[in-house]
Amino acid sequence: MIPLTYYLLLAGALFTIGAYGIMTLSNGIRLLMCIELMLNSANMNLIAFSTHINDASGQVFALFSIALAAAEAAVGFAIILMIYRWRAEIDIENMNLLRW
Amino acid sequence: MDPTLTAITTIDFRMYAHWIVLLPMIGFLLELLIGQYTWRKGGMFANLSIFGSMVISYGCLYNVYVQHLGFWEYSWDWFYPGIVAGFTVDPLSLAMLCMVSFISFLIHIYAIGYMGHDCAKHVYFAETALFTGSMFGLVLANNLLQLFIFWEMVGLCSYLLIGFWWHKPEAAAAGKKAWMSCAVGDCLFLLGIAIMYTIMAKHGVTTEVISFNQIFQHLEVLSSSVVFGIPALTIICILFMCGVLGKSAGFPLHVWIPDAMEGPTTVSALIHAATMVTAGVYLIARAFPIFLAAPHALAVVGFFGAFTALYASTLGLVVNDLKRIFAYSTISQLGYMITILGCGAVIGVAAVALALFHLVAHAFFKALLFLTSGSVLHGTSNTRDIKEMGGLLKGMPWTGWTMLAGALALIAFPFTAGYYSKDRIIEEAYVYATGHGSLGYLPWLFLVLGVILTATYTFRAWYLAMTGEPRSYLAVHPHECDWWMRTPLVILAIFALGLGLFTKGGTLFWHFLEETFVTATNTVSGIYPGIDLHEIATLGGNHLLEHGHAAEISPAVIYLPFFLMVAGLAIATGAYYRNRVDMSKYIKKENPLYQLLWNKYYMDYLFKDILAEKIIMTVFTFWDVLDRYVIDGVVNLMSWITISTGQVSRKIQTGVVQNYATAVIFGVSLLVILVKLLGGV
Repeated sequence: MIPLTYYLLLAGALFTIGAYGIMTLSNGIRLLMCIELMLNSANMNLIAFSTHINDASGQVFALFSIALAAAEAAVGFAIILMIYRWRAEIDIENMNLLRW
Repeated sequence: MDPTLTAITTIDFRMYAHWIVLLPMIGFLLELLIGQYTWRKGGMFANLSIFGSMVISYGCLYNVYVQHLGFWEYSWDWFYPGIVAGFTVDPLSLAMLCMVSFISFLIHIYAIGYMGHDCAKHVYFAETALFTGSMFGLVLANNLLQLFIFWEMVGLCSYLLIGFWWHKPEAAAAGKKAWMSCAVGDCLFLLGIAIMYTIMAKHGVTTEVISFNQIFQHLEVLSSSVVFGIPALTIICILFMCGVLGKSAGFPLHVWIPDAMEGPTTVSALIHAATMVTAGVYLIARAFPIFLAAPHALAVVGFFGAFTALYASTLGLVVNDLKRIFAYSTISQLGYMITILGCGAVIGVAAVALALFHLVAHAFFKALLFLTSGSVLHGTSNTRDIKEMGGLLKGMPWTGWTMLAGALALIAFPFTAGYYSKDRIIEEAYVYATGHGSLGYLPWLFLVLGVILTATYTFRAWYLAMTGEPRSYLAVHPHECDWWMRTPLVILAIFALGLGLFTKGGTLFWHFLEETFVTATNTVSGIYPGIDLHEIATLGGNHLLEHGHAAEISPAVIYLPFFLMVAGLAIATGAYYRNRVDMSKYIKKENPLYQLLWNKYYMDYLFKDILAEKIIMTVFTFWDVLDRYVIDGVVNLMSWITISTGQVSRKIQTGVVQNYATAVIFGVSLLVILVKLLGGV
């Protein structure tokens, strides 16, 4: 039996990697992938705790969350596809039309 | 008796009193909307509607005077607790209704001929119908607010009609001047009504708060109210009087009257005889118990009236415009009426009767004088300067002789209408004087001096216009007016000469009018008991003579006005008929007195050049600077602060997604740390 702490440390590491990626990267697809990473670290927390307290509802939550992530990824990729068609690039740093 | 006649006598016309107001309003709408299609019929709707009002008015008079059905008041709830719309039928309103409807009807008939060729005839008749209807509304009103609304409508119609020939710049300016002079008084009048409402409400009156009869019932309570250390009733009455000075052309708000002569002459006749200037006198008469209960109010009224009477008659001496001479005589005669109302502090309700009798008599002869001068204008291609007339009596005998009848009534020649109405006023002014110290003789003195001047200026106009040799080409062959115009002249002349005789020297009229206020008024919900004027007078520190008690006046005083009238007539005859005096010696620019009168005591100069252009313009310049730099400055400062704050703070919107993400992450982390530190979850 792997102790709960290890799961939490792994999830924290994944979350940190995702957050770091969001703060530093500028490629749209990479950003989306970082977001997925953060989301899945949260899912991992849910499952870990669910097993820990021996209650299946946390795992159900994780399933819902994954479904939601899929939908979100579909919308995100669609947007990025449109941006690519429009500007032939997906560098988020150049998307600054609404700036002052 | 004929059955139809019997049927008519059983009708209670008092129940249809509201139609007196509504009919001319309907006439106004019809004339305005479809009048242009019935142009040839010449104001058919207006004339018929005024005739209808006249029938109902005389029906009411028959009910009250002959059948003794009693006074009647009816109120509808209008809005807000205690504000009603209502009509009151009592001798005071009946006298006015019958006079206004009759005179207005005659003037409408005359206007069929006089305005016959005007292309905007239907608009003219629409406006005169509205004018007359508003005056009916004013007269019938049983409360101050309704009276004020119709008061303003009368002012509006006078503005429209004075400026009826608006394409002439002087007519447009005259209309504006009339409107603005009246507005000064009207604002103060409205303020008076507001104060009246406030103190009535303060004393716990909740129904018909500013109805006249309700106010009269509460005068004893109201007289204890004080505003700024002055009795509230006195303030209210002075404010009312300011409204009266504007509407009834009292000094110093009379300046619009001479200019108002730019309108059609029939309009001048309406304004001066029936529908406009009499409203002010009527207001004081209607509110007479309030004035009586207010300390010093009637004295102020009396002095203003008497001063106006003398002041205006001096101006009439030098004017050369035929209509303006009669305009000044109107101001002067209104002064007589206002003076006698002021004398009501001694003679009580008799003052109302005397003022109203002079008002009615004046309406007949002044309508006659204006209509005859309209006929002169009509017959001589709009010549208004009496210096360019002369010898018109030969060419237009109907006009000339009826004008003589009007002039005789105006100067109070024995046995004409004016003789019975005016001489009695002067006598009563003397009665007032005997009880009020040496200062009390001033009104009487002003009135008596006015008599001699009235006789002089009236006959100066008549002699210069009608007798002698024609002094201009246009006066050589004047053409007499048609029968539409002649008939009203003759009827008015009969009344101007005979009104006093028809009413047994005015006594019938006086006895009828003296029942006002002291007799009970019936309403749907109950009865307003008559009020004891003696008791009310003591509230205002006035002491009334016992009713029917004739004061001792020496015959010299009684006959003085007659002799002064003869003297004035003799002066006019000598100077302008027999030409014994060379008037050109006096009428020249070097004569300071002539200069003063010719410039109307510089009142126009005072109002326009000094008050309007110097004082008010200076104030407006200051206001303009304040507006432009202080008020606009504050607004501009606010927007500048907003914009410059935005300039600085919008820099944080970099448009780089990573920056936003970083801010979110650090923000959330900070929040978590704070919650942890502050001992939260």
